[in-house]
Amino acid sequence: MAEDNQSSKTDRLSRHGLVMALWAPAIFVAAVLFHAGYLYAANWWFVGAFTALVLAFCAHIIVNVVSKTGFTEGEVALGSVILVCLTVVYLITILTAPNASVERLIIPVGLGLGALVVFVAVSMVISFGPRRAFEKFDIIRDNNLRKASHLTHRGGRR
Amino acid sequence: MTFLLLITLSLLFVYALYFAAQTARIQSSPKDFLDGGMTLPGWSVMFILPAIGVAALGVERHFLLVANYGLQASHVAVGLITVAIAAVMLWNRLWVATRLAGLCTPGEAIGRYYNSIALRVIFMGLCILFALPYSANLLSQAALLLQQATSGTIPREMGVWIFAVSMAIPAIIGGWRAVVLVLAMEALLIAILIPGITLFGEIVLTGDIFPTQPMPVEDGVFWDRIPGVLQGYAGFGKSVPVGGIFTAVAISSTGISLVGIVLSPATLYLGQTTLKGNAFGIGAVWLTSGLAAGIMLLVVPVLAARMPAGLFSHAESLAAVVPLAGVSVILLGVMGALFAISFFVTGGALLVFRELVHTYLYPNLTDKGQRLGARISLGFGFFLLGLMAAFMPYVSAVFASVALPLALQLLPAMVGFTFMRWISRGAVLAGIALGSLLVVFTEPLGLIIFEGLFVDLPWGRWPLTIHSAGWGLAINLLIVFLSSVATLRGPDMYQRSRFHRAMKAHPPASAKRSGLLWGLAILWGFLAYGPGAVLGNFFFSDPIFTDLKSVMGVPSLWVWQMLFWLFGVVLVWWVSYSVGFGRTQEVTGKPMRIGMPRATRSPDWISSGLSRVVNRGGDASADDPNQTSVRLLLPDLESKEPAVKPGRGKTRYG
Repeated sequence: MAEDNQSSKTDRLSRHGLVMALWAPAIFVAAVLFHAGYLYAANWWFVGAFTALVLAFCAHIIVNVVSKTGFTEGEVALGSVILVCLTVVYLITILTAPNASVERLIIPVGLGLGALVVFVAVSMVISFGPRRAFEKFDIIRDNNLRKASHLTHRGGRR
Repeated sequence: MTFLLLITLSLLFVYALYFAAQTARIQSSPKDFLDGGMTLPGWSVMFILPAIGVAALGVERHFLLVANYGLQASHVAVGLITVAIAAVMLWNRLWVATRLAGLCTPGEAIGRYYNSIALRVIFMGLCILFALPYSANLLSQAALLLQQATSGTIPREMGVWIFAVSMAIPAIIGGWRAVVLVLAMEALLIAILIPGITLFGEIVLTGDIFPTQPMPVEDGVFWDRIPGVLQGYAGFGKSVPVGGIFTAVAISSTGISLVGIVLSPATLYLGQTTLKGNAFGIGAVWLTSGLAAGIMLLVVPVLAARMPAGLFSHAESLAAVVPLAGVSVILLGVMGALFAISFFVTGGALLVFRELVHTYLYPNLTDKGQRLGARISLGFGFFLLGLMAAFMPYVSAVFASVALPLALQLLPAMVGFTFMRWISRGAVLAGIALGSLLVVFTEPLGLIIFEGLFVDLPWGRWPLTIHSAGWGLAINLLIVFLSSVATLRGPDMYQRSRFHRAMKAHPPASAKRSGLLWGLAILWGFLAYGPGAVLGNFFFSDPIFTDLKSVMGVPSLWVWQMLFWLFGVVLVWWVSYSVGFGRTQEVTGKPMRIGMPRATRSPDWISSGLSRVVNRGGDASADDPNQTSVRLLLPDLESKEPAVKPGRGKTRYG
């Protein structure tokens, strides 16, 4: 039992290492391209930057499939926080930055962030099907504390 | 650029530290620190193998050679396919032998198979050679690049210590597994950076260079072709070769020298400590011969043509456009070196600890004691590395030049261990001795010492354009074959046969496929980087079967390289999947014992020496009969097993 526990810990670390090994270079490449896009004011660099992130996301899904796992709670939380932070930063930039910067950034970055969200949603629909993908966001039903709500015929999932 | 570069390097350090801490947290047994529990994830080895191959070429060094010599220097990268073949075959058999006979390190495997302490010492010597001068040379170059990139804000010596400490801390905390996990990420980053920087440079920088324009090399250098099969020149420092150094024989011998990195103890240890699965095959076929060799052959000439003055000048030109892109170029150069340093120093320190300290000095260490000892060894290793890199860069460079060729001299020993039972211990030792001598005297190490002490030699480095590894291996193989014929019925043949019979129970292959495979491999080698490679000079531009001239817009040699790179991938695929070396499966059955059993006490001369140092006040062991060391004689360990008569207290031999 203890050995199994240790083995699962090692497996989790290995998977985590692989996921990080995929994301770290992708984020660096995305940063370089984003930097180029910002300095050059050319939209293709932004496309490249967001493509790097999307590719890393695809690689992450492949890792999940190969290792027969899903996104861990930590990964979901981290991903959500980063996406929300980026969106907030994006909105603040639009509100506070000079007009020239806003004009340059609003469309490519906005589309890029939107594309990321769409991509996540599409991948969830493909992985779980429309109903279960929607249920992932159905917090209200999860918050129903009555025991009866756990029953399957009443729609309980826990 | 300085600020961005430092931030990026700091993030790398934080990444390594994070994984070191994570690994340290989950390690249930302290012994896992040394070998990752022999269950390193396959994906990490898949990523690391191609980067090890590229490290053998040397990222910055290879770029400079290609920038100075053109496609003839780039052709050496075909050797990565040989690296892939060697790695997949040797790793597979060593992996099986490790599980079959309970072997912990490559030195132990070879030492116990041949029943030779001398071979274990040679392995330890190689560990030190790769961990200290070889790595110190790389570290010195990386620190020099950092000094240039920061405009002297971080001097070379300071850079050396910053890098040494930043690599030492994660290794000391997390051990072998943590280092391997971090190196896998760095390998992937290197694989992305080379094509990424090339593509970026082609988009943002002005001016057409290679392949639309000739590569900017010096006058008299044939940038687009191989300057003959062989040249009668005396060697570097004595005369100048016509058209460039990289003749077909120079390319083949340099390509084969890359196999030395597979035979380095740390690389063998990596293969030994991997989890079962398909990692060897995927790493060798798709990532090493496919991706790495492809990038080095197709992409690097384009990149190198833009950096005739080295990485730093290219980084400056990119940084002028996008600063972070300039940082990427420096990062590529620095990380190419740090990858190899971290790998060889960590692996070397762990192996020296296991081979020397744990086997001979303190054989009864507890698991926690072993972990502590390994941590101290790692600390010492990185400290000595820093010392050498900071204060002895030239000595390091001279010794570094012999690391790969000397490691290659172990090829007959490994082939004997893995495939050919008729290769005997005496033959292997004689071959290594003479081969190493030839290596040393065709490299600066031997030349400088001999010419400084005695008289000038008539040859220089790499005479006749043959790499020192080629000289050494040729005489080594000759000696091994001749000596093995004479020792076919030697007294240790029984043990070797027993071992190989047990290995055959876990076969990777069918003999028929192997025969055809070797025939194709020799043909491929002859045309890809052997004498037949000179056909590629004009084969596609001036075809021999017609008077017409083809206009491709790219040099014929480049097309030849692409063609034989693709054939090479097929060859490695065959070795890995069709023959089956790319997979490892559970080894079942009763474990076998080869060679002398593991000593539970130190040899008497070591323990008495230790007790003299430790017990200055007197010999404490004299009063305690349990502490008295066992009388073991070195020559007897190497040749005969002692027959002890119970109760007589005497030892008889024979």
